[in-house]
Amino acid sequence: MPTIYETIFATLLWATMTCLVVAVPGTALAYLLARRSFFGKGILSTITTLPLVLPPTAVGYLLLRLFANDGLLGVNVLGIDLNILLTWKAVVIACSAMSFPLFVRTARVAFEEVNPRLEDMGRSLGFGACRAFASITLPLASRGLVAAALLAFTRALGEFGATVIIAGNIPGQTQTLASALFSAQQSGNESVANNLLLVALGVGFVTVYATEHLTRKSQKTKGGSR
Amino acid sequence: MSENSNLFDLSLRLPLDRFELNIEYTGSARMLGVFGVSGSGKTTLLEYIAGLRKGGRGCLSFSGESWENSKEGLFLWADKRRIGYVPQDHWLFPHRSVRGNLEMGKRRALEVGVDFEAIFERVVEVLELQSTFDSRVDRLSGGERQRVALGRALCSGPQLLLLDEPLASLDRTLRRRILRFLIRVRDTFDIPMVIVSHNPMELQVLCDEILVLEEGRIVERGSPEEIFRRKSMFDTAKEQGFENVFSGILVESLDRTITLELEHEGQPVRLRVPKVEGSVGDRVIASLASDDILIATEKPTGLSARNCIPARIEGVEETELRQFAIASIGEAIPQFVVELTQDAIDELSLKPGIDVYLVFKTNAVKV
Repeated sequence: MPTIYETIFATLLWATMTCLVVAVPGTALAYLLARRSFFGKGILSTITTLPLVLPPTAVGYLLLRLFANDGLLGVNVLGIDLNILLTWKAVVIACSAMSFPLFVRTARVAFEEVNPRLEDMGRSLGFGACRAFASITLPLASRGLVAAALLAFTRALGEFGATVIIAGNIPGQTQTLASALFSAQQSGNESVANNLLLVALGVGFVTVYATEHLTRKSQKTKGGSR
Repeated sequence: MSENSNLFDLSLRLPLDRFELNIEYTGSARMLGVFGVSGSGKTTLLEYIAGLRKGGRGCLSFSGESWENSKEGLFLWADKRRIGYVPQDHWLFPHRSVRGNLEMGKRRALEVGVDFEAIFERVVEVLELQSTFDSRVDRLSGGERQRVALGRALCSGPQLLLLDEPLASLDRTLRRRILRFLIRVRDTFDIPMVIVSHNPMELQVLCDEILVLEEGRIVERGSPEEIFRRKSMFDTAKEQGFENVFSGILVESLDRTITLELEHEGQPVRLRVPKVEGSVGDRVIASLASDDILIATEKPTGLSARNCIPARIEGVEETELRQFAIASIGEAIPQFVVELTQDAIDELSLKPGIDVYLVFKTNAVKV
């Protein structure tokens, strides 16, 4: 049996990996939704947000269908076995699916708060579109993006429903803090459950507090000095 | 560049919410003013020239370089036009200090072969930005922000400077101060400018040629000396703050007043005006409202007003709202517009060619 520390460490590691997985596509999508008008934008935005309102078990089941042998990403279709189900990779995928909408929504607000006139100013100073994004928009949205990553991290820490369906709850392999707490409660192991609860409360409080702090600070600086 | 070659060749049709911006202009003015009331399309035109707005039909070339040609599908974004743009709201980068803002255009300046260090030093000196160098831009005053925005554009090595209402967000005292900086910039850097403003005075001081925009069309075009004196323009100009603008050399500094000598080939014209910072020999820009001037057909005596200047009536005009006389006090000095009532015109029998005196108080002059 893994120790409580090993479970906590594995959960923190997977949550960090989740942040890394969602950060790049999430930032790109958030910028696209914040700055561009295009056909199907509403649909794309709705699909992105869907995991927030669906039961996590429904998302888990959808992922299970996707990675099952006859699923779109299954061995029968791709011709190779990605070996996702019931592994740590499934944990990261489930956490990413559930964290992605939170990341995108927070990052989108961060980009929307940066006035596009500042990018115009960059263009007038010789910046191409990419450089204007990297030198002006990104730094000004950075606090919001960090807040988005922290929220994604927190969501990944607490993820249970989707994870348990595609990764299971295998101690030492796919068990997370949330599923370990569930197992401890189910088996009447109160001291372990209490300890896990304290860790979840502590980590959750720190990350949410940091997110609030960053969001407040970023709102003060993004408008541009007029 | 030859003085006579056309700097601008612009033909634009751009649909807006209320009207279509429809501009045809070819000209060589290095200091081009665009005057119009709010909502006449001035800022849109400036953004179009800057390459920040797409969607128009037509062509635009500057100094022989084609920036847009909708028939050929050519459109250069702002970063390819080498312009310096100073918007009305400044839009300084809040994540950079004053120095950081000034250095934002460094790469472009170096790419076009501008000696960045030299221009940077010159800009800082001319715009007096030394004391604000390490400040955060949100701690700056309105005048400082305006100067930093101007400096940021200048440091990027532009071939054309676009200024959108450069003084609109400032109070009157600050406006005069920033106007002096703009004059310095014009005289020091020799960069062509397009200045958009609804204030006739700024344009009279800074520009070589002025276009008047009304609902997206150029309705008047002329020199700053005469355009606002036109019968068709005077009411609008007056409502937007028209004043007679002139410059003179400071020749005497007294306790609370100074004496200005206006440039005149014949008898020098001296005016007593309120005290302003500066020393003997400095050029001073002054303005005088058209309704602060009296006309006398004989030299008045026993008056407290300190300025009584011989002049000749060049014209008497009547607009829908006003009557005014145009008086000349010397060949090289802009003509003065004097607002009068019809009674006064009739009683003094004012008509072109008669000699009069222009009378005004020292404190009526704004410097």
